[in-house]
Amino acid sequence: MSHSTTYNRGQYAQRRSSLSRNQNSVRFTSAIKLGPVTHTVLVALMITVLGLIYLTQATKATSYDYEAQKIDSQIAELSEQKTDLEVENARLTALSTVRESSVAKAMTKSEAPAYVSN
Amino acid sequence: MPNEVIIHRRIRFLAIMCFIVMAVFVVRLFYLQVIEHGKYVSLARAEQEKRLVIPAKRGEIYLMDDGKPYRIVMNQTVYTMFVDPSIVNKPTEVLAAIREVVGGNTVEGYAERITQKKTRYQVVARKVSHTQAELIRKRALNGVGFHAETARIYPEKSLAAQILGFVNFDGVGQYGVEGKFDKELQGTDGLLQSVTDVANVPLTIGDKNIDIAPKNGQSIVLTIDRSVQSYVEQALADGLKRTGADSGSAIVMDPNTGKVLAMANLPTYDPGQLAGITNFTQVNNGVITTPYEPGSVMKTFTMATGIDTGAVKPDSTYVNTDYIQVGDRTITNASKGQTGTITLQHALNWSLNTGMVTVAQRLGDGKNINLDARNTMYDYLFNKFRLGQPTGIELMGERAGIIPAPTIPGAANQYATISFGQGMDLTMVQVAAGFSALINGGTYHTPTVIEGALMPDKTLRRNSNQKTYNGVIKASTSEQMREMILKSRGAFASSKDRQGYNVGGKTGTSQTFENGQIVEGQTIGTYLGFGGDTTPKYVIMVQVSGKNKNLGGSDDTNPIFTDISNWMIDYKKLQPKA
Repeated sequence: MSHSTTYNRGQYAQRRSSLSRNQNSVRFTSAIKLGPVTHTVLVALMITVLGLIYLTQATKATSYDYEAQKIDSQIAELSEQKTDLEVENARLTALSTVRESSVAKAMTKSEAPAYVSN
Repeated sequence: MPNEVIIHRRIRFLAIMCFIVMAVFVVRLFYLQVIEHGKYVSLARAEQEKRLVIPAKRGEIYLMDDGKPYRIVMNQTVYTMFVDPSIVNKPTEVLAAIREVVGGNTVEGYAERITQKKTRYQVVARKVSHTQAELIRKRALNGVGFHAETARIYPEKSLAAQILGFVNFDGVGQYGVEGKFDKELQGTDGLLQSVTDVANVPLTIGDKNIDIAPKNGQSIVLTIDRSVQSYVEQALADGLKRTGADSGSAIVMDPNTGKVLAMANLPTYDPGQLAGITNFTQVNNGVITTPYEPGSVMKTFTMATGIDTGAVKPDSTYVNTDYIQVGDRTITNASKGQTGTITLQHALNWSLNTGMVTVAQRLGDGKNINLDARNTMYDYLFNKFRLGQPTGIELMGERAGIIPAPTIPGAANQYATISFGQGMDLTMVQVAAGFSALINGGTYHTPTVIEGALMPDKTLRRNSNQKTYNGVIKASTSEQMREMILKSRGAFASSKDRQGYNVGGKTGTSQTFENGQIVEGQTIGTYLGFGGDTTPKYVIMVQVSGKNKNLGGSDDTNPIFTDISNWMIDYKKLQPKA
């Protein structure tokens, strides 16, 4: 028994109207059939995987928070130390401190400068 | 009954029971999750979310030093150390730590506080530094804790204290720049609202997080020169010691800009040690808050008025008898003997009251200080030299003083005394600013202590609020006044001046009043002058006073003026005239 490979005009027109360009005209049907239980399990698994992905991301973001907090604390600590040093420097270079220093006390008062005019 | 039927009934009963139980659960869950939703969400948020205020840093204050801003008021995080005596298990070690590490910061009775087991919170030390706090923390002592707080630090101690003011225990600025610009210095606190963990670490989870950064306070740069201020304070202190005066004030200004270079008052205080304040006068900036009769320094203003209106000239003459009659009063000279026909320059040199009354009379009909004369004097003193009114200087507590109106009863007598510096109340900053206009060519600059604002990128945004009034007096009048004032100082007071410079000035000695009565044997000494090379570069006004002390412009304030003036010449590197 052989199949005819020729179409008459009517058949060709009918086929043209139901198909688009590049569309497969052959439909494959899977031999594996999934029952309702399997479907439910698969959906549950997918939800679980998605949940785990979310949890992983959330935990990761939170771990960044701790990282950021640690760095913030270090910045604050260093900033405090810097301020302490600045205050100490300001106290040591204060005019009252300088005036009371042994170096300053040993200094003599300057004489009036003499200017030479051209 | 067959077994199958019984089993079927039991199963149905169990199913109904399960359904009822499930229904109860569902109803309860519906109640909790739907009806009470809002309540439990807010409870959860209260538990999980924290609102943390991020304090703004108070703006810092700078002086000028060698032409650049120099920080003189700073902020520092300090700690209050406390103990919870109920959980302190090693009191001896805690006590040792306190003594060894924070011994200088302890509060009174700190040792007893540790032993008060019934209490939960006892402060044992204040203003503990970060390093000290860390040293204590390393000892891991039970029941010891720290509160962080921001302290205002004044590393230069009492330098410019009355200009700066201070910040009280509530963090509010008081007096001086701290008081005047408290709002600008404070800034705006930030806010952090976030879900936190048990250790209060903010987490990014949650949909209602708020993170508003604090807006730090504005840092302010003053015109006050750190070196000039320091020297003026020292010179004033030396002067008080020399004269025995109780208190003194001094101001140094740039007459060409109105910028205040120094403003000193003694006695003073340390803004970082408020407990050391024993008297309000220590905090008071007398230069702007204490109007007084400036005395004979005001004769320069009377002469300027006379010359500018064309009523007199420096070499105009009058017959001095050491007495002059004004209405029912006889006004006498403090210095007698310069009788005969003398010039007004001579009268200024000898500070003769009769000479200034003569000028006032010549502003009118030549014989009386009539309404025209008084109106002219008032116009110059109040409207042009802006005396007897606040100058607008950017410091807290400036007082207006008073120039009496020309129409008050007895105004002729009042204006006779005003002509030689009595009968009015003026602050030193008013007089120094008016005098600057008098000798700088006739331009009045409102006195200012604000150089500008220091931006976060450390650039200086200059103060643009200062006002200038041109043509207060004619440039020619100003020039003649400079000459007169130079000669006035040259007559008696210039022997110790640095040679080759233009240094002029005028003494003032004024009486004091208590309950409207003159206090005998108690006078205030004042000296007002300028210095420079070819043009005036600085104006200095000095005042000293003391209880039951006769203090004068010549002997008591002139040496202080001379000291500061000679130093200013060196500091400003002025070259002498060829």
